[in-house]
Amino acid sequence: MRSIPVRRNTLVLGATLLILAIFAWAGWANWEYRRQQAERLLANTGQGELAPAPDAGSAQYVSPLNGKPAPAFALEDLNGKKVSLADLKGKAVMINFWATWCGPCRIETPWIVELRQKYAAQGFEVLGVDTEGDDLKKDDKAGWAKATTAAGKFVAEEKVPYTVLLDGDSISRDYGGLDDLPASFFVDRKGVIVAAQVGLTSEQDIESKIQKALNH
Amino acid sequence: MVLALGAMAARGQGVSSAAQKRQLVKTDAVTYLFPEQVSVPAGKPSQVALHFRVAPGLHINSHTPADEFLIPTTFSIPEGSGVRLENATYPAGTVMALTIDPTIKLSVYTGEFIIQARLVATSGDHLVEGKLRYQACDNNACMPPKTITVAIDVIGK
Repeated sequence: MRSIPVRRNTLVLGATLLILAIFAWAGWANWEYRRQQAERLLANTGQGELAPAPDAGSAQYVSPLNGKPAPAFALEDLNGKKVSLADLKGKAVMINFWATWCGPCRIETPWIVELRQKYAAQGFEVLGVDTEGDDLKKDDKAGWAKATTAAGKFVAEEKVPYTVLLDGDSISRDYGGLDDLPASFFVDRKGVIVAAQVGLTSEQDIESKIQKALNH
Repeated sequence: MVLALGAMAARGQGVSSAAQKRQLVKTDAVTYLFPEQVSVPAGKPSQVALHFRVAPGLHINSHTPADEFLIPTTFSIPEGSGVRLENATYPAGTVMALTIDPTIKLSVYTGEFIIQARLVATSGDHLVEGKLRYQACDNNACMPPKTITVAIDVIGK
């Protein structure tokens, strides 16, 4: 008979724990439901918020090509003329990979145009390499024609004075894959890459790299 | 041309060194979330909400970008799959200003977004490989346009 109170206490304790567990589950379920509702509302109203750009906190971008000869290439320009990097032997060259769909590329283009004019007399030249048709298939003639037209239109609008080459994708692997644009490589007079950049920086940063290529 | 207008204003302003320090994103910028399977009445147009997510820190152009040169986000279904895309309704883009020049406005998708696809399926089970084409950027750089496969098991009853 003495075991009955113990059994009752166990039952009460068990029931209490069960009720607490139900309350906890209900609270979690309610929070989860509200969180999902908020996510849906956010998506439906198109009011997404930008998260900070990924930042590895690593050192300044250094291309594995730094200190190595710039990979040779020969591509057609907007007029169909074949132009090679070797044609600019003896000059400091900025090889600028870009595309019309790349907003940051288009922001830096006027800077590059200005710097090209500023340093041309010292033996500096720019080669713009358009990577317009990255996901276009080789046989997509309409797609390539549209891409070439877009590149030509942009070059005309920006009054780009330097040579712009097409089909940059065909040489992008030699230059490290180029998963991001803009990407530029600064080549000294001996044909060696002395600096590189990926992503938009500033006009001053580009100028310092041009000076490095000229004075290396 | 919106972007070009902002270039002069942005000239000389140093972008934070994050541009040089940034970690290059090697993963897909956009992930298809759900549904993996839908049942629809055979032969009748049915609305299906397709959920996608843009990776944190990135944005993609909306279906109606703010500039003619920018690549819109588009969804399509190849012919011959037993399912036809009658039309797709895209969400309005969020207006976003570039850090380097707040006067440059973009129309983008970030986070989760939903495309309402109106599908017409023949009777039977169809493994559809829809295509989402997009072009992603962060504040300082852009990745090439990409097309991902959107796999949906569509059951027409």
